Amino acid sequence: MSILIQLLLAFLSTIGFAILFSIPKKSICKSGIVGALGWITFYIISIHLNSYTSATFFAAIVVGILGELMARYYKKPATVYIIPGIVPLVPGAGMYYTMLALVSKDFYTAINKGTETFFIAAAISLGIIISTSLSRSIKRMKHKN
Amino acid sequence: MDKSDNKRKEAKNLLLLSTLAGKIMLKNGAETYRVEDTIERICKSRMNIKYADAFVTPTGIFVSLEYDGEMMTYLIRVKNIKIDLNKIDLVNQFSREFVNSNMPTDEGIAKLKEINKIKNYSPRLKILFGSMACAFFSLLFGGTFLDFLSTYMISLIVLITINKIDRFKMTFFVNNFIGATIASFLSVISTKIGFGQNMDIIIIGSIMSLVPGVAITNALRDTISGDFISGLSRGMEAIFSALAIAFGVGFVLNIYLRG
Repeated sequence: MSILIQLLLAFLSTIGFAILFSIPKKSICKSGIVGALGWITFYIISIHLNSYTSATFFAAIVVGILGELMARYYKKPATVYIIPGIVPLVPGAGMYYTMLALVSKDFYTAINKGTETFFIAAAISLGIIISTSLSRSIKRMKHKN
Repeated sequence: MDKSDNKRKEAKNLLLLSTLAGKIMLKNGAETYRVEDTIERICKSRMNIKYADAFVTPTGIFVSLEYDGEMMTYLIRVKNIKIDLNKIDLVNQFSREFVNSNMPTDEGIAKLKEINKIKNYSPRLKILFGSMACAFFSLLFGGTFLDFLSTYMISLIVLITINKIDRFKMTFFVNNFIGATIASFLSVISTKIGFGQNMDIIIIGSIMSLVPGVAITNALRDTISGDFISGLSRGMEAIFSALAIAFGVGFVLNIYLRG
């Protein structure tokens, strides 16, 4: 049940970001689906593996691959689907907790949270890199044949 | 003589058209390789242009093409990037249409200028939905209904303020800093008066509309395509936007925890 609620909330949240970035009207719903599935991946994996970093990594891969597939199918730029889906994964919370620990002079927690934030950002990068290069190499292979 | 002059003018127009298309895409947050690709495709689609090349960075476009043994080069500087993914899609469609038809260049330029004017959503709608995104995000992080409401109102105020101070043409750093400061200041106040319940969730939710999601995505996609200069500069943009937000939040928290 809680998964369904999370799915719905993530869908609505991604739609909001999609309109903030002014994506084409017909793509709003699809980008919401991409974002919701990405968030659900994050949610499930973060519960089971208890690690935000790997959860973000897999979520970014899901968003990237789904975005590339949608882009191919509907003939739109892939960023239209990827950008709204990535925004909820950006570690705003990590940034906040790092800053909170820093200003309260709790340097141990600050380092802890800071490294986690950094690694979450790196995980997003890695996820997008993998999905994008995968789709590029498939495109090149098809070109050759 | 007249005929060749006309053709030369047509080639010049083609160059103008392709850079205009590139400028619209780059200004609205397209990746570098897409801009370069579009410009080259448009240039090579016409007449006897054998050579056309584009070099695009996030802050400028250089295009040159060879027509009848003569090199023509055009350079434009691109400032203040705004995100409007709809325009990227429209220019993308336009370039496909232009390449596959015999559209005259004048008509093409007129069409591009029209695309540049299109507003997909009104600024008010964007602000309303942007704050909705932040509010639902606070629920995702385990906020209560009151947190949802206060996040909605705070991000509404943040987005309106950022829209207003955009006119003064300050840098993205100042914009993000002010946005994060307002967001955390109002969150502190709303928890103080008992309207919001979890201060950290409200702050996290309201700074979500400022986080550099586009810069991160584009920086990586540029780097993978081999556009290292664009990748680096967009990565710099992402890092400094994040730092500005962190400074803004830290500034308010510092005062709050001391006083």
